[in-house]
Amino acid sequence: MAHEHSNHPAHLHHHFVSSEQQFDAAKMGMWLFLVTEILLFSGLFVAYTVYRVWHPEVFAQSAELLSWRMGGLNTIVLLASSFTVALGIHFAQKDNKKALVINLVLTFLLALTFLVVKYFEYSSKFEHGIFPGANFAPHGISHGVDYAAYNVPFAAQFFSIYFVMTGIHGFHVLVGMGLFTWITIRAIRGDFSSEYYTPVEICGLYWHLVDIIWIFLFPLLYLI
Amino acid sequence: MPVTGDNTPSKVSHTEHHITSIKTLSIVFGGLVFLTLLTVGTSRLDLGVMNVPVALLIAITKALLVVVIFMALRWDNKINAAIFAVGVLFVIVFISFILLDTMYRGDLSNTTKGTIMEMEAAEEALRAGERDLPPTEPPEPPGHEE
Repeated sequence: MAHEHSNHPAHLHHHFVSSEQQFDAAKMGMWLFLVTEILLFSGLFVAYTVYRVWHPEVFAQSAELLSWRMGGLNTIVLLASSFTVALGIHFAQKDNKKALVINLVLTFLLALTFLVVKYFEYSSKFEHGIFPGANFAPHGISHGVDYAAYNVPFAAQFFSIYFVMTGIHGFHVLVGMGLFTWITIRAIRGDFSSEYYTPVEICGLYWHLVDIIWIFLFPLLYLI
Repeated sequence: MPVTGDNTPSKVSHTEHHITSIKTLSIVFGGLVFLTLLTVGTSRLDLGVMNVPVALLIAITKALLVVVIFMALRWDNKINAAIFAVGVLFVIVFISFILLDTMYRGDLSNTTKGTIMEMEAAEEALRAGERDLPPTEPPEPPGHEE
């Protein structure tokens, strides 16, 4: 452990004793933030749970309208992006700048892929009058599915919950893309090394949490 | 890509951060993809009452893999694991106490009989019945004189 005061590294702030302490403090702060994120989504999961317990058959029927293929594809995409972030941190720790940058760019592209798939999903719902809230009015027939048949009481609640939960999750993906743009630029600039890669680690933690939220959203909304 | 052994930090001199090997990360990623396919597969089968528990169990397993390996809680300062555990505990309290209300509302003898849905249906029936009755004279608003 380095305790020198005369020869401390550029990234170390005055109020920390060592790089180690600074790293641990940043990480602990991030975990606290992640808990607030978990609690934010838990409110939405509670809304989902209550309505599902009250109307299980409506939720099971409404879920048929969501494409499990698209949802499953997006699950694999997000899992792959978690993998590339973890690899990025691995290479930052190994001082492999090139591999770090490649993995950060891959993560960004996978996040973009996720949102593109989500765009197609949303527009195919809007086409058939499936909107959140009072505008819910399913109509039309495509691929042999009569959307009007799904206009039963409380189906609107299912889709409102679907849009709000995936919408807030999608917003987190968008924020993640911004974060990865920022740390990719910094990585190219050579800010990170095995001595200092805190921002990569912190953004990685954020990204894994976004992945975990989707791990729950996918089966709950699309499958069961 | 070089595959290093597990639990071997490349530099012990300055930082002692755990470096998760590419091999470990790849195995976990493979496991996560497998579990995704598994949950899609089991959702195609009709497991009756087990549909939801099976899907949740698979999702929890996947989330744990991400938290423990990808987020490296396994090798991290224990305080972070404690923070995470407390967060999860609050979520469990949140969901279970709300369910105690919404699932058993009306079951206690000193409150209304029936669930909230049944009470709503009864109210609706009452309102439908009122509509068939002849309209009664509304009472004069107090303090309003001609």
